[in-house]
Amino acid sequence: MSDELQIELIDVDKHYGAFHALKAVNLSIRKGQFVALVGPSGCGKSTLLRSLAGLETITAGTLKIAGEVMNAVPPRKRDVAMVFQSYALYPHMRVIDNLTYSMRLKRAPRSQSEAAAKEVAATTGLEKLLDRYPRELSGGQRQRVAMGRAIIRHPKAFLFDEPLSNLDAALRVHMRKEIRSLHDRLGATSVYVTHDQIEAMTMADHIVVMRDGVIEQQGAPLELYDRPSTRFVGGFIGSPAMNFVEAVVAEDRRTLVIEDLGSVPLPGGIMLGAGETVTAGLRPEHLEISAGDGPGLHAKVDFVEFTGAASFVITRGAPGLTVFNVGRTTLRPDEAVRLTIAAENVHLFDRETGRRLGA
Amino acid sequence: MTLEWRNRVLVVIALGLAALYLFPLYWMYVTSLKTGSDIFATPPDFLPRDAKWGNYGYVWTSRGMASYMWNSIVIASGTTALTALLGTGCAYVLARYRNGWIDVALFLVLMLQVLPASLMITPIFVGFSQVGLLDTPRLAVILALTAKTMPFFVVLVRATFMSVPAELEEAALVDGNSRIGAFFSIALPLARNGILVSAILIFMQAFGEYVYSKSIIQSPTLQPASVGLNSFMGPNTFEWNNIMAYAAIYVTPILAVFVLLQRRIVAGLTSGALK
Ligand SMILES: Nc1ncnc2c1ncn2[C@@H]1O[C@H](COP(=O)(O)OP(=O)(O)OP(=O)(O)O)[C@@H](O)[C@H]1O
Ligand SMILES: [Mg+2]
Repeated sequence: MSDELQIELIDVDKHYGAFHALKAVNLSIRKGQFVALVGPSGCGKSTLLRSLAGLETITAGTLKIAGEVMNAVPPRKRDVAMVFQSYALYPHMRVIDNLTYSMRLKRAPRSQSEAAAKEVAATTGLEKLLDRYPRELSGGQRQRVAMGRAIIRHPKAFLFDEPLSNLDAALRVHMRKEIRSLHDRLGATSVYVTHDQIEAMTMADHIVVMRDGVIEQQGAPLELYDRPSTRFVGGFIGSPAMNFVEAVVAEDRRTLVIEDLGSVPLPGGIMLGAGETVTAGLRPEHLEISAGDGPGLHAKVDFVEFTGAASFVITRGAPGLTVFNVGRTTLRPDEAVRLTIAAENVHLFDRETGRRLGA
Repeated sequence: MTLEWRNRVLVVIALGLAALYLFPLYWMYVTSLKTGSDIFATPPDFLPRDAKWGNYGYVWTSRGMASYMWNSIVIASGTTALTALLGTGCAYVLARYRNGWIDVALFLVLMLQVLPASLMITPIFVGFSQVGLLDTPRLAVILALTAKTMPFFVVLVRATFMSVPAELEEAALVDGNSRIGAFFSIALPLARNGILVSAILIFMQAFGEYVYSKSIIQSPTLQPASVGLNSFMGPNTFEWNNIMAYAAIYVTPILAVFVLLQRRIVAGLTSGALK
């Protein structure tokens, strides 16, 4: 990874008529970086990606690729490759013609484009399928053709729009690794849209969390996990999702009192007065089931879910808390539990704005 | 009643209806092979006593059918070519872009479809005579017919283009093609079936057209077979066998095309015409 910027968005806005789809988006992507764009449905991920490809024109701001302003440059002159969610393979062309389409447009000699197609087919495991039509391929094979069609171009950037969402779970995990290792091997710059935060966490160097056309937070995966800057990011990154409870700062300003449940320690370095109400975020994996009496959160088990390697304990009440428990628990419904959490694992957010409080 | 019996009854009803519907066609062919006296026999013969194939040759030469058929083909081909050329682009735009103006255009296109030819012919005739188009009457008919067939073609082909995902063309754009290039290399090949089928339907329609040709083309040497057939049938006509032979010669080619292509036509009209 070099320091050279490959993609740069400065105060980018996109309007669809009266609808404001992207709001003052700022994003810098270095050469060789793998950036994941995540967020709930309709937040503008595809819009941003399509703007990068030139399929949408941005309404305001500056969009640069490899240092050149691209605002008004048509897609064919941007030298980026895109993998669509639907794969968008040309149905009337064989696999090999799909792969070489871009080269044929550039009038590359036949021998050269065929050699390139063979090479790409070898990387993506398509050697035996070159003469087939897309309709004669399985979902996973189509996905590979779509990848191959992008790879053959050696573009300035790869743009992926939820490329794995049509595959089954096992294949998804496999392709995840494959795409990432391909990215490393090619030394490519990639922007990868997904609504699956696990995909983002496992694949990306840099995650951009979007919501309603705004970038909520961006940074390295663990940075987002450790220090979510808003309640939304806290809830979005991490699985199972973070528990949120209303908490009041106690008189001693050392603990947070949570109504009906008990108390948790107040993290240090936060300037809060006694009696102030905040939203506390407690990750399921940070809650520990403790024995005996003592401070902590006291609740009754509602039900338990086993995944095999771990179990999720969900407690009764509004809100019910989810607890991630490694291994198998012997807890039964209606059993009383005491939950404790370390002070540094308690995330606090402003009750109104959802902004993170403290460091 | 069992299901099987119900199916049988339905088949019988269907056959009955088909027979009723196809009887005129059958009667045309049978009559075209009869002698002049046979046609007035009572009760009528449902099969000719001895087929007079000579009727066909006689009509072909005596009525100068070669010229009429040629004119029909010229008018139908011209109309089809012009409709396909102009209509495909129009249908594409109407399929790909969505805004208020497009809706207005689509409404007007459908509106045109509603107006009957006999109503349109007067303004068309006046207009054409003023710009001197009546000097080239076949071209004038082609233009008038194109205007008439266009809505039908556009509506059908638009549906075909809408079944081609826009993402395919976007992929082509990102792959390095221009907007026009993407149309020709992606959208057009994928819509080919729908366009072909619609063009065939337009051809058949134009091949049998009567109102415009009758009104616009005065010279018999330029008239199509539909007008020729009509002038064959005077008020005192008794040559029904020859008239039917004329009609048979006229419709058989187009009927054959339809029968040969009917599978594709039906498929093209009902499916998304992909593949
Ligand atoms: N052509 C368009 N015209 C009007 N609004 C649009 C258009 N395309 C997208 N939008 C709107 O812009 C918003 C963002 O859409 P976008 O497709 O970028 O969402 P997304 O984040 O990719 O969602 P998903 O995860 O469901 O794919 C949505 O509210 C959508 O309704
Ligand atoms: Mg999307």
